[in-house]
Amino acid sequence: MNLYVPIAVLALIAFGFAMFSLVASTLAGPKRFNRAKSEAYECGIEPTPQPVGGGRFPVKYYLTAMLFIVFDIEIIFLYPWAVTFDALGIFGLVEMVLFIVAVLVAYLYVWRRGGLEWE
Amino acid sequence: MNSQLLAQSAVQAPHIEYGQLAPMLIVFGLAIAGVLVEAFVPRRARSAVHAPLTLVGLAAAFVATVLQAGTHHVAAEGAVGVDGPTLFIQGTIIALAFVSSLLIAERRPDTSAFVSDAASVPGTQEERESLVAGDVQTEVYPLTMFAVGGMLLFPAANDLLTMFVALEVLSLPLYVLCGLARRRRLLSQEAAVKYFLLGAFSSAFFLYGIAMVYGFAGSIRLSEIALAVSHSGGNETLLLLGLALLGMGLLFKLGAVPFHSWKPDVYQGAPTPITALMGSCTVVAAFGALLRVLYVGFGGMQWDWRPFMWGIAILTMVIGAIVAITQADVKRMLAYSSIAHAGFVLTGVIASSSQGLSSTLFYLVAYGFTTVGAFAIVTLVRDAAGEANHLSRWAGLGRRSPLVAGIFAFFLLAFAGIPLTSGFTGKFAVFAAAVAGGATPLVIVGVLSSAVAAFFYVRVIVVMFFSDPNPDGPTVAAPSLLTGAAVAVGVAVTLVLGVLPQPALDLAANAAAGLFVR
Amino acid sequence: MTPADVVFLFLGAVTLGSAVLVVTTRQLVHAALWLVVTFGALAASYLLLTAEFVAWVQVLIYVGAVVVLLLFGIMLTRAPIGRSEGLDSANRPVAIAVAAATAALLVTVVVAGFREAYVELGDPPAGTSGQMGASIFRTWVLPFEVLSLLLLAALIGAIVLSRREIQPPGESSDERPTERPTGPGRG
Repeated sequence: MNLYVPIAVLALIAFGFAMFSLVASTLAGPKRFNRAKSEAYECGIEPTPQPVGGGRFPVKYYLTAMLFIVFDIEIIFLYPWAVTFDALGIFGLVEMVLFIVAVLVAYLYVWRRGGLEWE
Repeated sequence: MNSQLLAQSAVQAPHIEYGQLAPMLIVFGLAIAGVLVEAFVPRRARSAVHAPLTLVGLAAAFVATVLQAGTHHVAAEGAVGVDGPTLFIQGTIIALAFVSSLLIAERRPDTSAFVSDAASVPGTQEERESLVAGDVQTEVYPLTMFAVGGMLLFPAANDLLTMFVALEVLSLPLYVLCGLARRRRLLSQEAAVKYFLLGAFSSAFFLYGIAMVYGFAGSIRLSEIALAVSHSGGNETLLLLGLALLGMGLLFKLGAVPFHSWKPDVYQGAPTPITALMGSCTVVAAFGALLRVLYVGFGGMQWDWRPFMWGIAILTMVIGAIVAITQADVKRMLAYSSIAHAGFVLTGVIASSSQGLSSTLFYLVAYGFTTVGAFAIVTLVRDAAGEANHLSRWAGLGRRSPLVAGIFAFFLLAFAGIPLTSGFTGKFAVFAAAVAGGATPLVIVGVLSSAVAAFFYVRVIVVMFFSDPNPDGPTVAAPSLLTGAAVAVGVAVTLVLGVLPQPALDLAANAAAGLFVR
Repeated sequence: MTPADVVFLFLGAVTLGSAVLVVTTRQLVHAALWLVVTFGALAASYLLLTAEFVAWVQVLIYVGAVVVLLLFGIMLTRAPIGRSEGLDSANRPVAIAVAAATAALLVTVVVAGFREAYVELGDPPAGTSGQMGASIFRTWVLPFEVLSLLLLAALIGAIVLSRREIQPPGESSDERPTERPTGPGRG
């Protein structure tokens, strides 16, 4: 538990600094707005209006999201595995390889299906 | 952290009984092999590789199950119970999956039930192109095998965590499969979305139930829950709420009233071979899991759950039978019939005795094969737009193709429980067990709803045989070897279990004699 | 009250407050961001209860993936950046009643079940990653391996529903998908 005390302190300092910056700039900064200032600053291209009702959007975004979440869930199990690796012995390695191979099959399939190409 | 690790002694390697897990391992292996086939075999050749692979693999899994007969053991570090009832249920699931796979493997371009290209939007040029090219989405095979593997693990799971993982493994592929019908794709996709949303809710209930039961018992192993239940005094609120939530998750999968509302829509929208798979294998697996949870984990508190199960069984039988009368679509009618039958099986579950268990097992086999056979017939009655599912289209079918209509009538009579069919033997067995278990009022309700149900089964027979054929009515496609085999197996099992039920009854009684392993 | 109790109560208040804001704010993006706070505070609560692994699952999967996906979804679909009035429906009173009843039921049950409960955390506590690893890879190895199959099946399902088949390179080189953007090549 005590391992987390430095992290908590760091989080508190970060939070305090962010709050301080926000409050300080609100109190101290001059407020003269013009058109350029009220636009999003350095945030890529200007947003274009969406069609009414949303319209269709390319399904490949969905696929990317699914790939992301599946591999994210896979990665999370590597964490306790890595921590206990020394205590596990060879069978731990075998289990993890089996686990990864199953997801690797999914990866092979996605790759052959062109799921990794953006077109 | 480091000091903790150094203090931690080496972890023992888990002991896995591969032989006892063989049926599941074979089916999951088939699923992975199927995915690799999808990845590396050219499109045209895939069906030809998948179909034999699936059928041979399922046959091997069945043999592996039979070889385990007599085992009574908790395997895989306590995750899986291998015992008589479980092996019986697993064998039933594999056999039913085999027959359903015959329907799934039906690949003539005009009669395949599966979409040509699931990712194309219905009604677009892309869809027409892929239809003309004669494509079929062959991922159906590995997805089916994943679902079947989950179904094998579901009734065998000896702890609630494994059971939940199995529930997800069996549900997720089914959600996808429901949306892959070749014709009436919007209906099919709607069915998939409904099934997915409601199924996700029921899974969440199940998970919440696990948390509550864990809070009570301090363990999710069924045997330790049983121990905690038998030693409990004092506050049982957590336990009762937990069991109620678990029950909701399980009863949803069987489609017991009031958790049945998905069933007609999903059965109607899904491709008919998948409906056959869900109507047989999923129901068997869900009953297996329910039996294990109630008999092993919560057997010590049956006076708490029995009144609720009474209520659910009565509601399920009555509502299933009554609402089925108003249905005008064959698949919806069979869905409500399946709801009513779930109620009949529940009367056997409620008996909570070895006799109740064996009669439930027998009923599941009898019902499963009749269901697969009936849906196989549904795939045969077709018109230009695909399957003709509306009952009015079936008018006069008995005069055009007496054989097909006669076989369907035979299945309907089996559903109704007419003597000399498996349905009669099954109903007799569960009702006898329920009477022996002191649930006579339940049996009276059961017999009355059987009578109501018989009304709508006979009505379909009357429509088929005693009304004039529609001039532009549907034609009966000549069954291919695969569909024909599925129908033949359905007829044979329904007939044999009706005329000569004793060997199967003995087998079920033997399997149930040792009850579930703890 | 020990300091841990105070921190726990504080985290609980943050979780509850931000959860209420998720469903009451009129800006979709704000709702997603408040959800980050809810999940983060929950993760901190888990940590405080020594469930270290669950806490990091909460952070990596829920904060890291699920909320990002939510924001993704908001961006790609309607994208009503700013206030949107259509977020409430006539079901609001019913929804409030159901939510309140569910919360009351759960609080009653949990309080009734654990009023006197005292749990020995053990040393090292069972929730640390090391202990979790030892039990995942020994006791729970079967559900763990089956889980990988679940992930595999989920991905296959996603591809089936979303990806039209394009000819993998090497099978048919004469028809590349780029030539016909609407109808990828098939042999």
